[in-house]
Amino acid sequence: MTAPTAIDAIRAAFQADLSTIATAQDLQSVRDRYLGRKQGQVAALMKSMAGAAPADRPALGKAANVLKREIDAALTLRRETLEATARPVGSVDVTLPGRELPFGRRHPLTLIREQVESIFEAMGFEILQGPQVEDDHHNFEALNMPPDHPARDMQDTFYLERPMPGGGDGSARPATLLRTHTSGMQIRYMESHEPPVRIIAPGLVYRRDTPDLTHSPMFMQVEGLLVGEAVTMADLKGTLIGFLRRFFDADTRVMFRPSFFPYTEPSAEVFISCVFCGGDGCAVCKQTGWLEILGCGMVHPAVFEAVGYDPERYTGWAFGLGIDRVALLKYRVEDIRLFYDNDLRLLEQFPQ
Amino acid sequence: MRILVSWLQELVELPVGPAGAGPAGPTNIAELADALTMRGFEVGAVEPWPVAEGAPPDAVLDLEITTNRPDCLSVFGIAREVGTIYAADCRLPEIESAVAADQDAPLAISIDDADLCPRYVGALADVEVGPSPRWLAARLEAADVRPINNVVDVTNYVMLELGQPMHAFDLAKLAGPEIRVRRAADGERIRTLDGVERTLQPQMLTIADAQQPQAIAGVMGGADSEVGDATRTIVLEAAYFNPISVRRTSKRLALSTDASFRFERGADVLAPLTAIARARHLLKAIGAGRARGAIVDCFPAPPDPIVVRLRHHRLGHVLGQTVDPSFVAPTLTRLGFAPRSERNGESPVWRVTVPSFRVDVNREEDLIEEVARHHGYERLPTTFPALTRPPQAAGDWRPRDQTVRRLLTGCGFSEAITYGFIEREAALAVHEDASDLVALSNPLSEKGAVLRPSLIPGLVDSLIHNRRRERQDIRLFELGSRFRQGDGETPSLALALTGAARAQHWTGAERKSDLFDLTGALTRLAEGFGVHAAFEADTTRALVPGRTARIQLTIGADTTPVGWVGQLDPALASRRGLPGAHEVYVAEIDLRSLTLEAFARLRAAPVPRHPSIVRDLSLEIDDALPAARVRDTIRTAAGPALVSVREVDRYQGSDVATGAVSLSVRLTFRASDRTLTDAEVQTATDRVVSALEQAHSAKLR
Repeated sequence: MTAPTAIDAIRAAFQADLSTIATAQDLQSVRDRYLGRKQGQVAALMKSMAGAAPADRPALGKAANVLKREIDAALTLRRETLEATARPVGSVDVTLPGRELPFGRRHPLTLIREQVESIFEAMGFEILQGPQVEDDHHNFEALNMPPDHPARDMQDTFYLERPMPGGGDGSARPATLLRTHTSGMQIRYMESHEPPVRIIAPGLVYRRDTPDLTHSPMFMQVEGLLVGEAVTMADLKGTLIGFLRRFFDADTRVMFRPSFFPYTEPSAEVFISCVFCGGDGCAVCKQTGWLEILGCGMVHPAVFEAVGYDPERYTGWAFGLGIDRVALLKYRVEDIRLFYDNDLRLLEQFPQ
Repeated sequence: MRILVSWLQELVELPVGPAGAGPAGPTNIAELADALTMRGFEVGAVEPWPVAEGAPPDAVLDLEITTNRPDCLSVFGIAREVGTIYAADCRLPEIESAVAADQDAPLAISIDDADLCPRYVGALADVEVGPSPRWLAARLEAADVRPINNVVDVTNYVMLELGQPMHAFDLAKLAGPEIRVRRAADGERIRTLDGVERTLQPQMLTIADAQQPQAIAGVMGGADSEVGDATRTIVLEAAYFNPISVRRTSKRLALSTDASFRFERGADVLAPLTAIARARHLLKAIGAGRARGAIVDCFPAPPDPIVVRLRHHRLGHVLGQTVDPSFVAPTLTRLGFAPRSERNGESPVWRVTVPSFRVDVNREEDLIEEVARHHGYERLPTTFPALTRPPQAAGDWRPRDQTVRRLLTGCGFSEAITYGFIEREAALAVHEDASDLVALSNPLSEKGAVLRPSLIPGLVDSLIHNRRRERQDIRLFELGSRFRQGDGETPSLALALTGAARAQHWTGAERKSDLFDLTGALTRLAEGFGVHAAFEADTTRALVPGRTARIQLTIGADTTPVGWVGQLDPALASRRGLPGAHEVYVAEIDLRSLTLEAFARLRAAPVPRHPSIVRDLSLEIDDALPAARVRDTIRTAAGPALVSVREVDRYQGSDVATGAVSLSVRLTFRASDRTLTDAEVQTATDRVVSALEQAHSAKLR
């Protein structure tokens, strides 16, 4: 067999072997077969050239070297390709989804409530919880709303068919109604504590409103009360502005406007610059740029008299905030009733 | 309260509108509306009102009047506020000039119940009934009052203008020129202007003639003496009625009118005479009639005006800002008060006579509010109240509730909040004792007839709500109050679950939830409070027998039953609307049983320094024998070196006798002071095996 023919034969055989390489071991055995120092076919070819005509040797040698480089390059390329696609022993497909672990959520009203609580807690307020069934004294009379007072119409009330044990544990007078606000707890606290008072009372309250987008016969409220010897309406403004800017946004603008509540005087309604349009006017704020957010005022002296505080010595302020309303605004939920459907498609949008 | 700006301008010297802007006044109606809003009279809407060509623009202000300000349920009342805002003068509308008092009374008025009616003013007028002039009808229409005829319209006009409700009777239909203000006789009847025949009760005040009631005082007139086209002479009425009496009558009859709305909030006891004089003037001015005889004023005991002290330093003390004393007296004067300086100087004091129309003012704070409103809340500074004692921690309920939420959300349960009232049937399904239920006397509907005696019905309804919306796997919990006549309002915790405990995943098939998912969660909950939960087979209402357990918490040596866990009766679930035959598991526990006390007393035990030794036992026991009994026997027999017992397999099959079960338990032994020897562990294990044989006829497999 002439040398060029032998070179072509090796080249053809190599090409066939190359295509069968699937693993690093295959690659090594092909490399040994062709480029091995002793057994390799290229080495054998070099040796066989000793028998060729001296004149042909340089050309043959050159051709053999070309073949050697060709094989080497092809194997190197093949090795790189192999390495690129190789998976380590025990490897897994990391893109498959992980196992689902339990993940429950707190109710959005709880989230808002806890945020409110923690801001007031940082301002030194004690957090109280009171009973949802109340007696007339704690819900109305002690709050300057005697029977037949027209202001009672502002809070249409659910009454019990017959009295039940009151005060949560039956220690208080019998309960006759569902509380329309959490103020009863403030009365209870003042009845048993001397000033200074610095409390908030969050909880569920009930009003006999027909349900619609913004009304629910049960909703969550938080009320605050501060009483001391030199507590002023300026303090009320400062505290509530501080709270609202921390809760919503440091740039929130706050407006206080005269209003009426039987248990505070002077009374105010508080508005914040619309969280949707920033105050430019939109459908939510009815183009006013403002959203009503809470009611407040200086505690009416009649309330202090009802709990045995000296209204000449002590002044104080109170506020009430609807947690549902804040949640509707903050999370842009469209219908208050969704909070009580407990639809997981809503709940699962909120953090744990 | 809807009023026309042009009407307002008749009663207060105020240039409004681009055409007539004055230096002290608002430059346009929107500005006026803003100013009123910022003084406590929210203008909900400003509706442009058509005007004649060339006339200044007009609008209807839709004002919200708070319940304490009945004096502002009138154009004049608002005019007074506007006059105060812009330091502009108000003027009363024209009234009939005084009629000589020595004339014979054309009308006999007697008040039987002066407590309910301290003043009644009546007068006669001869009338020609017909339609009102256009301008007058338009003003009524702007206020959403329907024009009827000139006589009735005049009474309504005066009510809107001055706030004094009025009424007109047809004299010819009364039993003579005599008015008796008296309580109704029991069962007395009257057909009111709305055509409804009403039965009166003795505490209701009526305006009667010599024979029968012709009006329900302060609420509505009677149809029998209604003014109609044929009316020739009318009796005009303007009176003051006791607010509580009117409110009660109005509520009992479920009849609220413009008149009752004003009277129950408190009318002006000095207004009736002016109102009658104004009405007779108007009747004449519009050509509807003319006065006949004198006005009869029955006012046996005019009250003394209220006088309230206002201290300048108290004003500053409440507001947190010193208000210029020269602002105070003029502001009160414009509002109708009569302040008299009692002390001048740095800290003045005023004795302020309260006008009769300000029924809301009777103490110093009321005056402070008046000054503050007109001073402007926006001008008050913002300060922060100093803490004068260390802040107090919230009650134990708060860390408790937070811990429950953290633990249960970690177990995959999401928090629900459901209504405090539920259907009676839903309550009875879980709570047998109907007399223990707390019913509402005025529920919105049957769906909320009783307060929940348990959180389970509401939570199950929420679960079903989700199940009906393509949601298969549901875990919910709720923290809340439950209500019973017997033990009052108590805090409770309920859990509900259905569907898969483990969803289908590429690593394996889904696993259906069962009772042990819920007892597992409860076990975790108990551990989170540092206590131990145990479950004892028992039965209770609404839960499937054989799949129900009483939950017990062990705290130290005490074991307390705290609630129930089990599979919800499928028939009940289906009645509540659960589709298909899905198993639902529920639990409820008394929240008061969970306290963080165990952790308050926590002292860390040393970490074990010696290795433990594990022994597995496979036992064949009676299928009906609770695992808890086996565990108890093992614990008692094994001695102090046993640190845990764990059931690792439970198996029934062909190689296990019928009625028996193979239970494998893993015992872990360890001593705190040394490494146990095999011999020691073997002795203990032998004791366990023989105790199990003796107590339960257990066989070692």
